[in-house]
Amino acid sequence: MTAPLSVSSLGKHYGEATVFAGVDFTVQPGEFVAIVGDSGVGKSTLLNCLAGLDTWDTGRITHGSTDLGTLDDTARALWRRAQVGFVFQAFHVLPHLDVAQNVALPLMLLGQNEPARVLQMLTAVGLEGLGARLPQQLSGGQLQRVAIARALVHRPALLLADEPTGNLDPTTAARVMDLLLAQTRGHGASLVLVTHSDAAAARADRVLRLTSGGIGAG
Amino acid sequence: MPRAMFALLRTFSWQDLRHHPWRSLAAMAAVMLGVALAFAVHVINGSALDEFSQAVRAVNGQPDLELRAMQGSLDEALYERMATHPQVARASPVLELSAVAAPAGALGAQAARVPLRVLGADALLLPAVAPALMPRAWPQADRFALFSPATVFLNPSALQALGLSMATPDAAAPLPQIMLHTGQQRLPVRVAGTVGAGGAPLAVMDIGAAQDLFGRAGQLSRIDLQLQTGTDRQAFAQSLRALPGWPAQALLAEPGDAAQRISNLSRAYRVNLTVLALVALFTGAFLVFSVLALSVAQRGPQFALLAVLGATPRQRLALVLTESAVLGLVGSVAGIALGTGLAATALRLLGGDLGGGYFAGVQPALQWSAPAAAIYGALGIAAALAGGWWPARSAQTLPPAQTLKGLGSASARADRGTVGLALVAAGAVLSFAPPVAGIPLAAYGAIALLLVGGIALLPRGMAALLARLQPLAARHALPLLALERARRMRGSAAIAVGGVVASLSLAVALTVMVSSFRGSVAQWLDGVLPSPLYVRSALGGPGSEAALLPAGFAEAVAALPGIERVQPLRASPLQLDPSRPALMLISRPLGADPARQLPLVGTALPVPAGSIGIYISEAVVDLYGLQPGMQWDGLSRAFGTQAEAPRFFIAGVWRDYARQSGAVALDRADYLRLTGDARTSDLALWPREGADLAALQQAIRSLAATQGAGDTPLDFASASAIRERSLHIFDRSFAVTYWLQAVAIGIGLFGVAASFSAQVLARRKEFGLLAHLGLTRRQILGVVAAEGAAWTGVGALAGVLLGLAVSVVLVHVVNPQSFHWTMDLRVPGWRLAALCAAVVVSGTVTAWLAGRAAAGRDAVMAVKEDW
Repeated sequence: MTAPLSVSSLGKHYGEATVFAGVDFTVQPGEFVAIVGDSGVGKSTLLNCLAGLDTWDTGRITHGSTDLGTLDDTARALWRRAQVGFVFQAFHVLPHLDVAQNVALPLMLLGQNEPARVLQMLTAVGLEGLGARLPQQLSGGQLQRVAIARALVHRPALLLADEPTGNLDPTTAARVMDLLLAQTRGHGASLVLVTHSDAAAARADRVLRLTSGGIGAG
Repeated sequence: MPRAMFALLRTFSWQDLRHHPWRSLAAMAAVMLGVALAFAVHVINGSALDEFSQAVRAVNGQPDLELRAMQGSLDEALYERMATHPQVARASPVLELSAVAAPAGALGAQAARVPLRVLGADALLLPAVAPALMPRAWPQADRFALFSPATVFLNPSALQALGLSMATPDAAAPLPQIMLHTGQQRLPVRVAGTVGAGGAPLAVMDIGAAQDLFGRAGQLSRIDLQLQTGTDRQAFAQSLRALPGWPAQALLAEPGDAAQRISNLSRAYRVNLTVLALVALFTGAFLVFSVLALSVAQRGPQFALLAVLGATPRQRLALVLTESAVLGLVGSVAGIALGTGLAATALRLLGGDLGGGYFAGVQPALQWSAPAAAIYGALGIAAALAGGWWPARSAQTLPPAQTLKGLGSASARADRGTVGLALVAAGAVLSFAPPVAGIPLAAYGAIALLLVGGIALLPRGMAALLARLQPLAARHALPLLALERARRMRGSAAIAVGGVVASLSLAVALTVMVSSFRGSVAQWLDGVLPSPLYVRSALGGPGSEAALLPAGFAEAVAALPGIERVQPLRASPLQLDPSRPALMLISRPLGADPARQLPLVGTALPVPAGSIGIYISEAVVDLYGLQPGMQWDGLSRAFGTQAEAPRFFIAGVWRDYARQSGAVALDRADYLRLTGDARTSDLALWPREGADLAALQQAIRSLAATQGAGDTPLDFASASAIRERSLHIFDRSFAVTYWLQAVAIGIGLFGVAASFSAQVLARRKEFGLLAHLGLTRRQILGVVAAEGAAWTGVGALAGVLLGLAVSVVLVHVVNPQSFHWTMDLRVPGWRLAALCAAVVVSGTVTAWLAGRAAAGRDAVMAVKEDW
């Protein structure tokens, strides 16, 4: 990542109800920031705002010189395609694509055909030889590895992870976190991790706690 | 029903119905429409046939046997022999004629004319033989009115048609007069009372008076026989035929034959109409299949949860089957009600004739039958159960754990298409089977097998196609997404495509069949209408006595200055077999090369010396088992005595779309030599170039008046007008097939819409993920629309191929077996292309609309839901 992600005075409401307000923070290139908070406080909504997938009512989000608020839906999609990787709690691996095709998807969207890169990512996440398998033939831990490989295959500047270990047992969760951190740092990407897991948050460079009043050191 | 199942239906199924009421309503409406159409056709045909049979029974009475002439009339001397025969208890002579009636003083070109059947009978014998024909004299008629000359008794429909009161008239009022017109005769008669027989307009009069009035002294149309108790009919008939001097052309018929003849003649038409109506039920079954398959696919996790909670596979199967049975039951009950309403409306507005012309003029009362309603209702439920079977099996066999994780539906299980291939092969074999009782049951079965087998082969065909396309799409995200999804989930894709295939194949088959038939009829009309102008009497139909033009008229017309050439044609009925409708004997100049005068199928054979060459229609080949090159002894009997009979040689077969019960053509010179009857039915005219046609027509009318045809109204028609009118009648008769095509396509497209909507909704999470990965909404909609276009395109291609296969069976098997005529296969390429394009565009737009709903902003949120 060559540019920081800056969030200033961000606020989001659903009608009269405030989801969050006055959120200010910056994520530096290569930095790992964990966002924690109570359930329903808007952590996932904040993550969607950071990805340009949701709208906000006040404040700004900039990535380097790109002001996400000024982009239309299409421009945000193109920015996201090139700059962002996602990892979800529920894996979200397309069931009708095989493992290699799932991983290659972001590259194909960018018009890049790099089978060697896909192979490299599969090897990096410990799935070498499993590229032709269908998702239903994999375990939960393996599915999350596919998701991590997919999130990083196109070398995004920013990785957004929403409870990536929430569906995994502690041992597998620790291994997945190791992998996520190693790969993110190996790619020089920034990582914003939304989590309830103290263990996962403890490994972040910085922990931010989100409340309805704003965000601060966790 | 076990309590657990009822509870599940009330909660689990009812909730789904509440959330998707239009989907279930559409499935029920499709079943309702199919049942309604089929039941309405059944009720209308049943009512018409019943009314017709009652009328026939009333007119023919209850004799044990009827004695008729194969052609022409019986000699009255035969009556004396019958009446005195020791085994005959009662012999009733009948003279039957056709005439046209009008109120006295009103007959003219503009007057309303009523075709009337006139029966001359012995009033003293009628109470025992045919009570419905017994005259009831009005009070002002004299005591001997029953035997008076020029005195008739009319049935209710004749009274109504002639504008006479149905009530008994005032005793002081004079008896009404009407004018009977037959051939060149105008005959005034008194109406002295009524007869009770129903059906078409009928007049009864004393037989002697009828013979005198119509100049038919010594002639009878038939003799009704009541035999002595204990007489064996078969043995009696045999003994008559063995009598010395017994006329060879006398025909003995059983009393039920007349009603049976019309039943047989119309049966194939009635069955065809019913099968066409059942087409709607077939597509209805497919809609039930689409709706339930998608409902089960959507409720996959819920079924999985039920399984986890202890619902057995059998219970899940039963639940879905019960849902389909309920859809079928509601649809069937509504269908029976709608069908009854449709039938009542059709009977009121159209009478009993649905376009075949078999029951024209019959005004039947609605004959509602509870067993028939139960059968058609059961068909509706069976169709819904058949449609629900596959989804029910899918609910039964789903893997609970995988399905709960959202991974259960993806299956790449190889489908070798064995069942589909076997069904198609069985259909192909069945299409070669002969008809059963004159109905192409095996061919209908072949069509059903081809359709079901073709649809069953879809997943395999799609797998083969996708395997070929896969390398092309491997490097591009959007095509890859569409292709891989279809490849891995071809069961769901096949559901969507199957709807298109089912409806389009039926539409294509009907289009090709109608187009082939229409093209062949148009070509046939060109062949049978060689001259530019035709003239005939306007008094009745072909073969009718009343409509004959006098002998010598053709020659007189030929001598007119504006006429270059005249060709006379005579059509007369010929009853060779009492169990079949009469043939039509057509005599016209055939010349040295009959192939130029008749639309021959194959080449004409040379006629051996001493024989008369005849040309039979395709129906005669089928119905009488005859072939070119054979001698036809049955026809010889109709024209000869035992000692001396002409020999008829079948020199060729011709195509005749006008007479389903068969026609025989022979040269007019032969006919004149055999019968001596020079009257004609039609004249084909070749006016001289530049002749004033209006003046020519006037000259022919004047000639008719001087030739003894009186003020016989003449109909002039140009070949192009006859052609246009014939094709108009054809189009009107087949209009129902266009409606059925529209219904089938509509149901198919609704199935496509339901399939795409449900599939796209089920893919909201996939679209949400794609949005996370940077796909724009436009791109997502592009993928969905392209998938829609691709699948409806594949469906259209498969539908056209399958439809063409079905049309081959319809054209070359069903039609010849049903109606005994052949036709050439004609594929209307542009119309089929337009049909396909309409279906593909509709499918694409449907998919795009469904995608718009599913790929909205909230699709992003779908990734938060568990898969």
